Amino acid sequence: MSGNMKSQRIVSARSAGAPGDLPRLTPCGRTRREFIWQAGGGFVGTALAYLLAQDGFINRALAAESSKASTLSSKPSHFAPKAKSCIFLFMYGGPSHVDLFDPKPELTKRNGQPMPDLENDPRFDAKRTNGRPLLGSLWPFSKRGQSGLEIASLFPKLGECVDDMAVIRSCHADSFAHGSGLLQMNTGSLRQGYPSLGSWVTYGLGTINQNLPAYVVMLDHRGGPIGGAPNWGAGFMPAGYQGTQFRTSGDPIIDLSPRGGVTRAQQRQQLDLLSELGEMHRRHLPHDSELSARLESYELAFRMQQHAPEAVDLASESPQMLEQYGLNNPTTEKFGRRCLMARRLVERGVRFVQVYSGGGHLDENWDAHTSVKKNHELHCAEIDQPVATLLTDLKDRGLLDETLVVWGGEFGRTPTSQGDNQGRDHNPRGFSMWMAGGGIKGGQAYGATDDFGYAAVEKKVHVHDLHATILHLMGLDHEALTFFRGGREMRLTDVEGKVLDELIA
Amino acid sequence: MWHSSCVVVLWGLFCVVTPAGLLADEPYGRHQIATDARDHWSFQPIRRPQIPSVDEPAWIRNPIDAFVLVRLREAGLKPAPPALRATLLRRVYLDLIGLPPTPAELDAFLGDASPAAFEKVVDDLLSRPQYGERWARHWLDVVRYAETNGYERDGLKPQAWRYRDWVIDAFNADKPYDRFLIEQLAGDEVAGSNAETQIATTMLRLGPWDDEPADPLTDRYDQLDDIVATTSATFLGLTLRCARCHDHKFEPFSQQDYTRWQAIFAPLKRPQKDRADLDRDLGPHAQVAAHQALIKQCDAQNAEVQQQVRALEFQVCQRAVADGRLPLGPPAVTLATTSQMPVDAIQALTIDPAKRNDNQKKLLVKHAAAIQTLTRELATAEERGRFDDCDNQLTTNKSAYPAPLPKGYVWYEAGPTSDASHVFRRGDPRNVGDAVDPGFPAVLVEGPPAPPTPTEHSTGRRLQLARWLSSPDHPLTARVMVNRLWQHHFGDGIVSTENDFGTVGAAPANRPLLDWLASEFIAGGWRIKQMHRLLVLSQTYQMASTSNPAAEKVDPAGALMWRFFPRRIEAEALRDTILAISGQLNPAVGGPGVYPKISREVLETQSRPGDGWPASEPSQAARRSVYVFLKRTLLVPELEVLDFPSTEETCEQRVVSTVAPQALTFLNGEFIHEQAQAFAQRLIKEAGADDDARVERAYRLAFCRSPSAQERAAVRDFLTRQRAQIEADSQGKSTPAAAHFKALSALCLVLLNTNELAYLQ
Repeated sequence: MSGNMKSQRIVSARSAGAPGDLPRLTPCGRTRREFIWQAGGGFVGTALAYLLAQDGFINRALAAESSKASTLSSKPSHFAPKAKSCIFLFMYGGPSHVDLFDPKPELTKRNGQPMPDLENDPRFDAKRTNGRPLLGSLWPFSKRGQSGLEIASLFPKLGECVDDMAVIRSCHADSFAHGSGLLQMNTGSLRQGYPSLGSWVTYGLGTINQNLPAYVVMLDHRGGPIGGAPNWGAGFMPAGYQGTQFRTSGDPIIDLSPRGGVTRAQQRQQLDLLSELGEMHRRHLPHDSELSARLESYELAFRMQQHAPEAVDLASESPQMLEQYGLNNPTTEKFGRRCLMARRLVERGVRFVQVYSGGGHLDENWDAHTSVKKNHELHCAEIDQPVATLLTDLKDRGLLDETLVVWGGEFGRTPTSQGDNQGRDHNPRGFSMWMAGGGIKGGQAYGATDDFGYAAVEKKVHVHDLHATILHLMGLDHEALTFFRGGREMRLTDVEGKVLDELIA
Repeated sequence: MWHSSCVVVLWGLFCVVTPAGLLADEPYGRHQIATDARDHWSFQPIRRPQIPSVDEPAWIRNPIDAFVLVRLREAGLKPAPPALRATLLRRVYLDLIGLPPTPAELDAFLGDASPAAFEKVVDDLLSRPQYGERWARHWLDVVRYAETNGYERDGLKPQAWRYRDWVIDAFNADKPYDRFLIEQLAGDEVAGSNAETQIATTMLRLGPWDDEPADPLTDRYDQLDDIVATTSATFLGLTLRCARCHDHKFEPFSQQDYTRWQAIFAPLKRPQKDRADLDRDLGPHAQVAAHQALIKQCDAQNAEVQQQVRALEFQVCQRAVADGRLPLGPPAVTLATTSQMPVDAIQALTIDPAKRNDNQKKLLVKHAAAIQTLTRELATAEERGRFDDCDNQLTTNKSAYPAPLPKGYVWYEAGPTSDASHVFRRGDPRNVGDAVDPGFPAVLVEGPPAPPTPTEHSTGRRLQLARWLSSPDHPLTARVMVNRLWQHHFGDGIVSTENDFGTVGAAPANRPLLDWLASEFIAGGWRIKQMHRLLVLSQTYQMASTSNPAAEKVDPAGALMWRFFPRRIEAEALRDTILAISGQLNPAVGGPGVYPKISREVLETQSRPGDGWPASEPSQAARRSVYVFLKRTLLVPELEVLDFPSTEETCEQRVVSTVAPQALTFLNGEFIHEQAQAFAQRLIKEAGADDDARVERAYRLAFCRSPSAQERAAVRDFLTRQRAQIEADSQGKSTPAAAHFKALSALCLVLLNTNELAYLQ
């Protein structure tokens, strides 16, 4: 299959045919004439290619070329996928694992004492932790479900779902800062300029629904995460692979509706004229399929105006369903709406949906520097019911088996306190994430941190391993999914990453 | 790696061949080069080829055409006929200045029957400031130009725009390419270094920078890697970056080669204050040194007077405490002024200035104004006189400070030496291998270069690199640059992988042509404008873009140049063209970046919505796109959606993708609606009340031609139906005049969205 993925590299057509030349890519894996059917599963890209082929817009040779080079409709995976879609619930700011998913009796016992034997870690900002007393877990843990997996009392509803969840307690990452930490969790790299996980999935698998983007991002109502758009950017891939921001009020997509009182009927006339003038223009250049593709992209945009609002219109949902997602409660309403939209989007074939909990700065997200109690009581209350409902709703609809749900932030928090001894600082050395559905064996805790929850020590799971596992569940081999750029084959997992087989059912 | 497969003599030594075309062993690091690796065409010296003699004088305008025609004949192809003159005019305008001709310019050209008419246009365009604005942007893609650092805070690169203006000015002034290159690499090291040449080195500092790196050591080598990658791709057209962690998998570059190149830049210093990145004083070294010395001197004089003031204040306070006029704590101080001061500040005042701790000093700075009033009040007449003397001296001192020097975001080094550079095993800076001297890829040189000559201020390494690159014998420098020029005139380079001239890069579609152009470039003194003239005055450039089924079969991509290959104009050119057509374009030149309006919905993706984006007033927002502020985490949607390149690393060739969000932005976005309305108003103003005259004017502004009868009919029909629809949709609320204008605006919107507008043909 890696051979097939390789053939997706785009041959620079103009150099072909030159003597002694080998067909090859531009260094960025791009050619100037990268038509949408080559860009593939980007924002409705596949759809466009598909429609063009159906409508006879591209000649047979080109269609054959494009099916070889890339994608018509969705692309085949490397192997049978467990999950068709992924919903990544991103807890921006860094939730405190020792207060939520990683019970630490020893930490609680030594509450107020100094932390013993702090590893001599040159990357650790010692002044943040040195001399700071340990802060015990703020909420009691209890065993829930048939599996008896432990979860803190702040998640009463989510606790009912533990049998579907695999909690990874031994996650670790490489950055103490939000900016590069977010980039790493989203793109695998601490450096800016790399494609995000959703872009890789879209690049690898294309899209199922012609009329919706393949990769959707829904931000928190309080703002975007630090670093903004590069977190869902396509990096060195064509822009068509970047995440499309969906909003929960107004037009779901920016500039979706006609402006200035232009009605749909008026816009239809405008597009008819555009098409008519385009056809006259094209008479001089009958072989330029790029021109037809551009004309067709306007038609696609027109159709999208109809389909995208339908996808996020909750009017067809029952009052009970809205209530279950928490839409009648101001605390849960915002995140609940995003979760319900996420379910509707995967139902309609969107590949990758990222939902942010937390935006802006400090207590607007999970960044609990001053008071874990105040911060986490708020954010947990906002998400507990919506997330639990999302899992059960997906299950009721038979979608959980094919939808991978991932929960986590860019890092965890320190076992020591901060501020007036009520907050916790950033900690990438050890933290928890969980996955559910989409081929995950639920009801298990995987790996472990030390007695205080400071660092992952057992079955350590790096961000690259998480990414390798997510790709694997979606039918993609993280070592074979490559994109040629700057002289080498780039991967989401760089030269690292291992699939966590024990997590998989 | 050490298996010997054959043995050759190189540099008089026996070497062992390794699989990658590298030879294991000695005097130049671990690897030397297999002879066949040196045989790669682009590593060979440029030999000026004979101009082919082709018996078709009517077609051949200059030697380019002869090289092209020979290849076409070999392939059994015929060149396309010449382009229509109006088409050619629009092509060369958009190509050279990134803006369409005005109707008046079109008429002037069509009315000029002289054989030199086109040449006159070309010379005129090359002399306009808009030429530099257009061609600088191509260069800015290659050097990853942006004005912020990216990452969490996306902090400002202060004065980075001066580099953008430097590039524009360099193109406009036709700065020879060898000098252009030298100044960017070593503008601080060249003889006669001054503010101008120093600004050029901003190029080296344009990369992303994390102000709070997860691992500072790795981060330093990431910064160096950015510079290695950018400089080697930009000037050599080679993927040296791939040899960071191991020998290059496909090219004859060793990890040593990478480290040699990296060592050239190892003196990298990043002036910063905490997380803020800093600019520096510019000018000849002696001038900057004198300037800074004068400031130091003034500072010292100030400090001396300040010390006198402190001592005097101390004296006054001590006495006031002793005689009870200044109580040292509660109850309250009787003097009116002291009520603003906390007691510990007054206590600090009574401590000998030399013995005050930091806290006390801070406190006194904080209350300086109150202290001044208090001490003057407590002073005797004689003391007051001395205070006044000091104040006068301070005022005099202030005017002794020199006027500030220009500032720039430039490269600088701490001195003539730098720490040794090492190969890092697996690229890990904590896994240190052999030390390596600065130098160049072994495959391109006969041996190690002489040690660079340091100056008082720097190691001299970059100047040595720049001299080596700009040598007329260099096999790559001229080829890589003329290929970029060709690329932007014709769509693709003769080598279609413009940043990769290595063994796995694309072979040149017409090597004799490329080599002839390269030798012409060097012989002509590296003058870029001369090359533009050569390229656009060729018959090859002036062909029509009409297709031909037979040729499509043989060479669908047009690599052999049987026609002018149509292409979409870049985001900036399209935005500028729209502004020009609507009459809104502000032609002001240079200066700090401008901030066109970005919708609230887009700003909301930021963690602090609107942060770092102070929207400019409308006329500034209507400046050319090259002046739009380039913020790494927030791009203007009209540019971003049309494949504006990533600024994280060098981009030699932009993607052309066609996706529905482009259509949404240009159908429904605020920018396009404002422009469509302005366009409509312009038509009313310039063409009067008659619809046909308006349509005529619209076509000439937008497409440099009159509409055909069929187009005229289609447009007229549209206006009628659109007006009726508007009136029907408004349910009687719209006046006929309003509907008329709305329909005309809608027509303008459609014209601004046409393929004809967006494509160069």
